[in-house]
Amino acid sequence: MTNYRGRIRTLFRHSLIALGLLGAPGSHATTLDTANLTPCYTKGLADRLMCGSVKQPLSEQDNDEKIRIHFAVIPAIKQVHPSEAILAFAGGPGQSAIEVAAVFARILRYAREDRDIILVDQRGTGKSTLLQCDMDPLEAQFAFNDDALPIFEYSRDETQKCKTKLNTDLSHFTTVAAASDFEAVRLALGYQKLHLFGASYGTRIAQEYMRRYPQAVASATLDGVVPMQQSLVAIGEAIDKSLQAIFIDCAEKADCRQQYPKLDQQYQTLITQLEAQPAIVQIPHPRTHRPIPLVLTQSKVRSAVRMALYSHTTRALVPLAISEASRENYLPLVGLMGSDSAFGSLAMGMHSAIVCGEDWPVLTPQERARFSATYFGRMMIESLDASCPVWQVDAVDKTFYQPLTTSIPTLLLSGGLDPATPPEWAELAMENMANARHLIAEEATHGVAAQSCADKLVAEFIDHGELKRLDASCLSKTAVKRYFMNPNGPVLVKEEP
Amino acid sequence: MMKQVNILFKKELLDAYRDKRSVMAGLYYAFGAPIVMCLLFSILLQQMASPEALKITISGAERAPNLVQYLDSVDISHSDEADTKPIHLEIDDAYQQDMATGRSATVVIVADKSDSKLIKSVRRLETALLRYNSEVAGLRLVARGIDPGLMRALDVQTQDQATPDAKGGLFLGIVTLSIIIAVFYSAMNLGIDTSAGERERNSLALLLSHPLSSMQIVLAKVAAIATFSVLGLALVLIVSKFAYAMVAWEQLGFSITLDQRFMVVSLIIGIPIALMSASMLIFVSFMAKSFKEAQSYVTMVLMVPVGLSMMTSYDIATETIQWLPIAAQQYAMIELIKGNALPLAPLAVASASTLALFGLFTYLSSRMLKSEKVVFGL
Repeated sequence: MTNYRGRIRTLFRHSLIALGLLGAPGSHATTLDTANLTPCYTKGLADRLMCGSVKQPLSEQDNDEKIRIHFAVIPAIKQVHPSEAILAFAGGPGQSAIEVAAVFARILRYAREDRDIILVDQRGTGKSTLLQCDMDPLEAQFAFNDDALPIFEYSRDETQKCKTKLNTDLSHFTTVAAASDFEAVRLALGYQKLHLFGASYGTRIAQEYMRRYPQAVASATLDGVVPMQQSLVAIGEAIDKSLQAIFIDCAEKADCRQQYPKLDQQYQTLITQLEAQPAIVQIPHPRTHRPIPLVLTQSKVRSAVRMALYSHTTRALVPLAISEASRENYLPLVGLMGSDSAFGSLAMGMHSAIVCGEDWPVLTPQERARFSATYFGRMMIESLDASCPVWQVDAVDKTFYQPLTTSIPTLLLSGGLDPATPPEWAELAMENMANARHLIAEEATHGVAAQSCADKLVAEFIDHGELKRLDASCLSKTAVKRYFMNPNGPVLVKEEP
Repeated sequence: MMKQVNILFKKELLDAYRDKRSVMAGLYYAFGAPIVMCLLFSILLQQMASPEALKITISGAERAPNLVQYLDSVDISHSDEADTKPIHLEIDDAYQQDMATGRSATVVIVADKSDSKLIKSVRRLETALLRYNSEVAGLRLVARGIDPGLMRALDVQTQDQATPDAKGGLFLGIVTLSIIIAVFYSAMNLGIDTSAGERERNSLALLLSHPLSSMQIVLAKVAAIATFSVLGLALVLIVSKFAYAMVAWEQLGFSITLDQRFMVVSLIIGIPIALMSASMLIFVSFMAKSFKEAQSYVTMVLMVPVGLSMMTSYDIATETIQWLPIAAQQYAMIELIKGNALPLAPLAVASASTLALFGLFTYLSSRMLKSEKVVFGL
């Protein structure tokens, strides 16, 4: 969506499933040029990949204008099933699958032992006609008072700016428009059957692909499931629940209780105070260490905490950050705000295409009322109401919201602490799945396969396709981290003598 | 001339074929070697691999619950059972104090790093501890409002040009070594039998009394032995193709796939080697006084090609050696498996010199057959 309050704000208010995983029959002819696959490399992965692209029509109606859909193949270690491959879908919406190849290679390393992995930059992301809005630099974001403005106007103006910059009809960049690109890539590469692996928003495009090309799918794994029949705006409830889990957990643990008593009250007090009066302080820039001004508003605090909920590593800092902030030491929060290195960048234009075409038009008045009960739900609805009319994305067909009916073996994974796609969402998604199994890792956050033994389970499932045979007992072992008791770590001891 | 050689060749083949024991002995190697190798490799891989759930002993675990939990999440845990690996992790007495006050907290790994069965497990533990270290260190910076990315002053990106098929390293050498050796060993007994053996059975003199040149006799014998060599090579290739596909190489991050192209090319480049090996066997056997003596000579002489092949296997071959017979052919086979282009120049030179050696040995043998000393083993 637009960059109306800088990047963080942008991510937080609008990217409904921000960066999930890593922090986070074809209706027309395709022009193939697979003959020229070229060796290529991506960040953080030493292995040689093979890259290529297919030409696809920009719109269904008009075949004149073509766009290139780029893809990369991570070769199998031992090519046991040359006619099959794993197709991995990135999250976001707006993430480039090729950019995060290293993450997929790690999560799917067991599955990769005998099958290729295909990564496609979905149209509007990465190398495939990137639709990106401009972002403010960190300093501007820190200095900006995002509570001082009427959000609606600001959001609208920023959207207008980005729309002028991109100058394209976003209706060609929805999930529905993209599904045929993936099929074109499959045909170009000549695989008979695919095993789908989708994470976060990637589960939506995976389900759409399954609906349209069931004959091409051997199995599907959906990690952090977005049900077809639900708007992403429902995310607010999951965020609140995930944060509450920290408060409850801390109150139950003796050392955390002793160090951070009444954490939730502290948090509420902090928010209330900042709502009344944002804190204006000088802080050292997270990277350059130059003193820069920070206007700390309640929404920046909420957003920083929200993003910290995505991984166990950053969750460990949440109690410390809240407790220090209430003592007017905002550095831990600044740390959580300023280290966005863990997240790939989202293509905000493509993100808007999806959200405005699929999640916004479907909101009923009842849903609006329900989702507005949470802070983030309210914020999202408000900013979508402002920006979507500017984008003018065609609303998808109503059939899009039908839950997927399929008998393809489907494995659904959910994390009990997920601040984006909670386990209930997966239950909703599997309503009409005849051959599905839902596994919940109670202590996992967003993207179960990246933080538990689910990576092995996924490989097993892809190998034999039998959901009943999977032994899910190991999912209770997740990479939970203890909360930091001071800026040095999770150990609570007396001060140094 | 060729017609006579042909008749003689058929007679030699029949002779060899009737000597079932020698034929079988040769083919046993071709059939058995790849299978034995694969069993060995599989056991080796199992021993070298770290078990999925790595059990070690941890002392002072109560002092570092967060660390122990982290290790547990990557399947490294404390155990007192019999299958526990002899790796010991000691958490220092001052761990908590040091951790809380921001000093480096000490943990000690006690293990025997010369034990090849342990080494992977020790490395796995070291890697896990490094990860934990950088995670905590990163969070320490975040807690102070600093971007942990600052710790990565250099972002080192590696671009590995190898395909998974090219990462076999030493294993590729051993696989090709076993294939090359098959050429020499599958006809060794037959070679000795048709020369030193014939002499001892006094049928060599009979053969020489026919109106044939000694060259014709030698050529026929060499052709017959080489035929069995090539047969052995074909067999070892077929068995290897299936046997090596069964080994779980992928767990080590590479694969060894012998495709049809490899098999055809190996068979073609194996033919000059088979001819050379056959002529060498006959030459050496005639040099010897008796059957027994021939056996020991041949065994010694075969050390030369095996040595050349080993140099290639263990990758200690110098540039010069890459152009020598056997070494060059094996190097070509390795490149084929890796999926690289064939090193045509060294291969051509080496094949030519292999054929030259075949010519030389054949010539020398035919010369020797003119001497009574050799014919009667005096």
